[in-house]
Amino acid sequence: MSDHTAAPATTAHTHAGRYLVVWAALTALTALTWGLSTIHIPGFGGVAVALAIATVKGTLVALFFMHLWDQPGPNRLVLITSLVFVALLVTLPLLDNATRFPLANPPDAETAPQRIRDAILNDAPPPAHP
Amino acid sequence: MSQFPDSSPPVFAERNYLNTPATGLKSWLTTLDHKRIGVMFLITTLIFFAVGGLFAMLIRIELLTPGPTIMDAMSYNRMFTLHGVVMIFLFMIPAIPSGFGNFLLPIMVGAKDVAFPRLNLLSFYVYLLGALIALGGMIYGGADTGWTFYTPYSTTTTTKVVPILLGAFILGFSSILTGLNFIVTVHTLRAPGITWNKLPLFVWSIYGTSVIQILATPVLGMTLLLVAIEHAFGWGIFDPARGGDPVLFQHFFWFYSHPAVYIMILPAMAVISEVVCAFSRKNIFGYKAVAYSSLGIAFVGFFTWGHHLFTSGQSAFNAGVFGVLSMFVGIFTAIKVFNWVATMYKGSISFKTPFVYFIGFLFFLFFGGMTGVALATVSLDIHWQDTYFVVAHFHFIMVGSTIMAFLAALHYWWPKITGRMYNERWGLVGATLVVSGFVFTFLPQFLLGNEGMPRRYFNYPERFQALNVASTAGASVLGIGFLVILVYILVSLKYGPVAGPNPWGSRGYEWLTPSPPPLENFDELPAFERGPHEYHDLPGVEAVAPGAGSSHA
Repeated sequence: MSDHTAAPATTAHTHAGRYLVVWAALTALTALTWGLSTIHIPGFGGVAVALAIATVKGTLVALFFMHLWDQPGPNRLVLITSLVFVALLVTLPLLDNATRFPLANPPDAETAPQRIRDAILNDAPPPAHP
Repeated sequence: MSQFPDSSPPVFAERNYLNTPATGLKSWLTTLDHKRIGVMFLITTLIFFAVGGLFAMLIRIELLTPGPTIMDAMSYNRMFTLHGVVMIFLFMIPAIPSGFGNFLLPIMVGAKDVAFPRLNLLSFYVYLLGALIALGGMIYGGADTGWTFYTPYSTTTTTKVVPILLGAFILGFSSILTGLNFIVTVHTLRAPGITWNKLPLFVWSIYGTSVIQILATPVLGMTLLLVAIEHAFGWGIFDPARGGDPVLFQHFFWFYSHPAVYIMILPAMAVISEVVCAFSRKNIFGYKAVAYSSLGIAFVGFFTWGHHLFTSGQSAFNAGVFGVLSMFVGIFTAIKVFNWVATMYKGSISFKTPFVYFIGFLFFLFFGGMTGVALATVSLDIHWQDTYFVVAHFHFIMVGSTIMAFLAALHYWWPKITGRMYNERWGLVGATLVVSGFVFTFLPQFLLGNEGMPRRYFNYPERFQALNVASTAGASVLGIGFLVILVYILVSLKYGPVAGPNPWGSRGYEWLTPSPPPLENFDELPAFERGPHEYHDLPGVEAVAPGAGSSHA
């Protein structure tokens, strides 16, 4: 019963050549990731580069192997919206966690766990709050 | 088929979905027809509504006096948990989208069925399975956590939380499957002539609801599963005594459950957009604004969940952020309200039963919405948090609005679904009882909350008794109203006059087909030349509801 008149056609069959090119690009990016892992990049740079490459690879998979390249705008919007909501779910609770204690606790609260741990290790009573 | 079938004689369609391909029970239980699946959802959700309503009446009777009236404290805790779980997961979330949405959406887009009919039937059985598991848990021992299952209590209580969590988890799959089906149907099965800008507003809102169902429900499933794991195996996820974070549970839970409010209210708005045009005989004012505001509510609704956590240990910074973000929902809701009111302006208004429910909806949405804006203000919320003020607020905005819209939908589309008219006079009596009963049940609860009566308490000081008695009296009127509706609706199935294809003279696409509709929805596919809310060229506005003494003031 579902074989009804369709609205705009959304499927465009693609040539195998396109998949080969994308596959080659993915392989090259994987090799690049491995190559960069052998080079020391100081600070956060290594992670940033690896994440950038992974993002490009993920985008290629979504666009070509998952056919988003051939889809009309609304279908691409569905994927982008999903990504936005995953980011939302992760970001705001993390923001809560990052801002919860410094705003809620007294100024010396950040060092309290360390001081308590030291006191336990030294077999001494936990330090009283000043 | 004519685009204006208003003048068609009232004929009961001989071959329709009720008798095609067969009439036996097996043909219903194995049907792939979206209309039958919609009807099965409607019947099932109405049964659960009756069960949830019975629990509500027992709660109200218990609260007639301070101390024990008809049950002990533990039974009371279980009772309000059952009431919440049944009403939210088994009635309000599925009722309009899965019931009316299934019946109407494919017809409104000119399709023969939804995109995945088998998945649609599976959705119904998954819903039944989830409902039975949850109810089994309730009968087996029940839970005393409230429908929110807050940790760490829900992971340490000795009551039977896990089966109910499992039931809610399974129910989520039904919700996702239905939402997925609707989105694909709207994208791929629109008939020629039905462009995005000619979609009925009902479809736009159901589409927005489906987006929320797909995006948010998996988070609830994941969260409930984590609670069940912590409860069963003692893993430290949310329990601080085991290294977990209880506030994280609330983040996860409300990431779904606040948008779930919009899963309930957006379909209600979907119904209202149809009803207001049909009974005002006016083009919808601001079609695009109403349509896109549904998507706006669906989107912004995801940014507001933290206002449930103002007093739960969430950081002050986050509380401020969520307080501001929560206000934005009011903007999109106000767009809709202004457009509905503008649609009525200078319209040829007909006070039929669905329109009376629309007026009730408007009142509850406005009153509940404004108290919601107040509750989203951190300083005020700290005073009202966990009091009856919150109970009254969400019953007005979420339950009141949704039930008004559900009843408006039931009366508006009853002729389409059954082919027969209900008694209009009794319809108005039922509507008056329900609207007034609802107001008198929950208005005293605003006052109780403001005076400090906490929610979910079995006992209360004597000074609160007068308002509690008033609330229970209101609930009794409400219950009588529902009974009246049940009686005349059932009577109309056998004795109601034949409705004909379009008893309201509506321009909606679903009224272009006979009542009840044929198996594949249209005998001949209409051209869909006009929009579904265009009344500007309607000659001599005249509704033709049989036996209703129709006229438009």
